[in-house]
Amino acid sequence: MAVRILLVDDHPVVRQGLRTLLESRSHLEIVGEASDGVEALEKVASLKPDVVVLDVTMPRMNGIEACRLIQQRNPGREVLFVTQHDSPQMMREALAAGARGYVVKSNLARDLVEAVEAVSQHREFTALARNPHGQS
Amino acid sequence: MKLRILLADDHEIVRRGLCALLQKHDGWEVCGEASDGRQAIEMAKQLKPDVVILDIGMPNLNGLETTRQLLQHDPHFKIIVLTITDADQVIREALDAGARGFVLKSDAARDLVSAVEALQSKRMFFTPRVNDLVLRGFLDKGRAISRNEPPDLPVLTAREREVTQLLAEGKSSKEVASLLNLSTKTVETHRSNIMRKLGLHSIRDLVVYAIKNSIIQIQMPIPPSNATEIPVA
Repeated sequence: MAVRILLVDDHPVVRQGLRTLLESRSHLEIVGEASDGVEALEKVASLKPDVVVLDVTMPRMNGIEACRLIQQRNPGREVLFVTQHDSPQMMREALAAGARGYVVKSNLARDLVEAVEAVSQHREFTALARNPHGQS
Repeated sequence: MKLRILLADDHEIVRRGLCALLQKHDGWEVCGEASDGRQAIEMAKQLKPDVVILDIGMPNLNGLETTRQLLQHDPHFKIIVLTITDADQVIREALDAGARGFVLKSDAARDLVSAVEALQSKRMFFTPRVNDLVLRGFLDKGRAISRNEPPDLPVLTAREREVTQLLAEGKSSKEVASLLNLSTKTVETHRSNIMRKLGLHSIRDLVVYAIKNSIIQIQMPIPPSNATEIPVA
């Protein structure tokens, strides 16, 4: 069965890039897109994706806050952060908010598909640019 | 014949998105992708694309300096700059550098195709915000001339701007020398000239200058959420 994914990023061009990478795999299905945390909460509730691919820095509601609320309201949905913050501190904050994965945008061509597959199977996947491949 | 586009952005995911956007258009092809300004210059010289799309905030050589150097090499290059900010200073610099298109990254999905079409038809394309600024600048300039005020003059040479960016990114004089194929002594001379011209006293001052003048961009801390209405589950 396909993994159902919601893409959340405030830049349409980045969403398009994520889509291009993920749609190259037939078992991954993009079910929707959102451009900020508030819209993400609405779409998670209505579309019930398996994995939410979430940016950190967004208008209206940032990704960390959105992740907390997604976990509170929709247990079972997995969140994978995709961000330009190559920071262990930000990664800890993201995982503390309930995310299952954290990858930086500079390494997405290498990490994204593997990270989505891992978190969809409820396995943690983290990879900073300076510390690649921290899958556990 | 296809319109050939060279794309330069340091984020691969953005390049992927831009490629997908541009290649939906019949008759266009992305003939090359570069991840910084220096690579973009090499590729542009070699590939001779019809249009060059440059991110402003690239490491090693930013998009503004890349624009200047490309046009110095060949004034026929048609260049669109992509930026995350529409700050007056950045718009002015892009116009001064000779860019014919100015597109905000947040609006790229809407505006980039229009910008390429405009340049293809020998027109310019600027986000509406730029049109206001150009008009205001034109009016201000008229007032300045009427008051006999001297225009602003660029302080640093092209080479000094390159050195400024690399030093502000944290590279040592030795590393800068290696990147630019110069001697360390020459870089030290550029460095002291830069400090003297700008009236700066430390690398910290230089970093502040580089940020203020959009020579480098910093990663901002995430803003707090300001949603007034959070939908309930």
